[in-house]
Amino acid sequence: MAGAVETQPAIRLRELSKTFAGAQRVQTLDAVGFDVPQGQFTSVLGPSGCGKSTLLRVIAGLIPPDAGARVEVMGHAQSAPSEDVGVMFQTHNMLPWLTVEKNIRLAAEVRALPAHEITRRVESILPVLRLESFRRHYPHQLSGGMRQRAALGQMLVLLPQVLLLDEPFGALDALTRDQLNVELLRLWQDLRKTVLLITHSIAEAVFLSDRVLVMSDRPGRIVEDVAIDLPRPRDPQATKERPEFARYVVHLQKLMGVA
Amino acid sequence: MKWWRSGRAIAEPAIVFLLLALLWEEAVAIFGIKRYLLPPLSEVLSALWQGRMMILKETWITMGEILLGYFCAVLAGLLLGLGIFAWPMMRRTLYPVIVLFQGLPKVALAPVLVIWFGYGLASKVLMAFLFAIFPVVVATLGGLAGTPEHLIEHFRAIRASPMTTFVRLRIPAALPSILDGCKTAMPLAVIGAIVGEFVASENGLGHLILEANANAKSELLFAALIAISILAGILYMLVEFVAKRVWWRAL
Repeated sequence: MAGAVETQPAIRLRELSKTFAGAQRVQTLDAVGFDVPQGQFTSVLGPSGCGKSTLLRVIAGLIPPDAGARVEVMGHAQSAPSEDVGVMFQTHNMLPWLTVEKNIRLAAEVRALPAHEITRRVESILPVLRLESFRRHYPHQLSGGMRQRAALGQMLVLLPQVLLLDEPFGALDALTRDQLNVELLRLWQDLRKTVLLITHSIAEAVFLSDRVLVMSDRPGRIVEDVAIDLPRPRDPQATKERPEFARYVVHLQKLMGVA
Repeated sequence: MKWWRSGRAIAEPAIVFLLLALLWEEAVAIFGIKRYLLPPLSEVLSALWQGRMMILKETWITMGEILLGYFCAVLAGLLLGLGIFAWPMMRRTLYPVIVLFQGLPKVALAPVLVIWFGYGLASKVLMAFLFAIFPVVVATLGGLAGTPEHLIEHFRAIRASPMTTFVRLRIPAALPSILDGCKTAMPLAVIGAIVGEFVASENGLGHLILEANANAKSELLFAALIAISILAGILYMLVEFVAKRVWWRAL
């Protein structure tokens, strides 16, 4: 690429290891390194306990990696949580004493954005997530699926460039989960953000992603980088019926030792 | 059918109270219990009615002692809990002192307080305060420490300052626990004030009980007991009414 202007990757990881010190030293990540280009939908697939969540927390700047690692997001070293990154976990982060609307506003209020700007953002987010008629509901009054949609709103209100999703719909039933995955895909296409999704569902990873990174058992290493060459926009029915879809699934199953 | 249900909510306990009253009245007659041991309810009620102005006055005094002691205990308990939680220095120094102090039977302190603060209001308020403060401190500490980890991480992810995290997350998350502490503290404040009056006083319901006892007026003694339990019940319900505004529970 000599001479060409290289577009900066959204995420760049080099030699990322993480060892938890304690009564027993546990190495969770072992020299993980990859780039995620801007706008790409990438999934990290791996067995439970392989360090996927640790990987995500390091990229989010929530926990530090071992010395010698390089962790960059949008060209900046990520040593603390930053404006560029939004995180979402399996358990939603809504405060039970605030309504859906106030929960979504919260992060922006904490960042001390002007009130009219917060209102503008929330008003654009609520219809996209189909939460307009639930804005005055409290979290405990919502279904699991709606709660996770509101959690998406909590993340989007700060307009992050990179979305880090840690099994965001993992606690939901299969039907709701499929539905929300389709909505997530639509959201990603509309907003043109970079997504890094952590999952242990092979079908989900193939259906959503441009690329699937397969992680080994602990200590987690990237053992394969699979480009998913399925046409977009993807349709929940038609995409899954394509022969390539089945081939990707079988290939990944073999890599994970489940086929 | 709503009226029926709310009607039941009043009728059921009313029937239980009526039955207990009947049992009291009749048992005294049937078993021939001596009047100085347990006077029949009718006489207690008539003593309550005849002495109503005096009992009301004494109740008013005791209530003042309880409320003053209680509010000071809630305020001080909250501040101590917050301080001990926020400053490790206070946790190292002040917390052991409070724990040690709590182990002391506070009843035993009453004579000392009278020596220090006299027969008047101050020693009773202080007793109510000492009885009530500890549960507030413990509940505040427990509530603050019990903030769910994933929400603390979320506040870190949105780069909230420690102060913002404290005000917008830890305090509201701790409120249910703090209010439980306040609920526990109210009956204790009542006990504290009465104990204070027992040791040395010139008025109040505790004083009335001692006086009735000394003069062998057992029906007045029981009337005072009824007044105390009604007072304690009303005060507790007031706290519970306020506590209902904090409806969020398990996070």
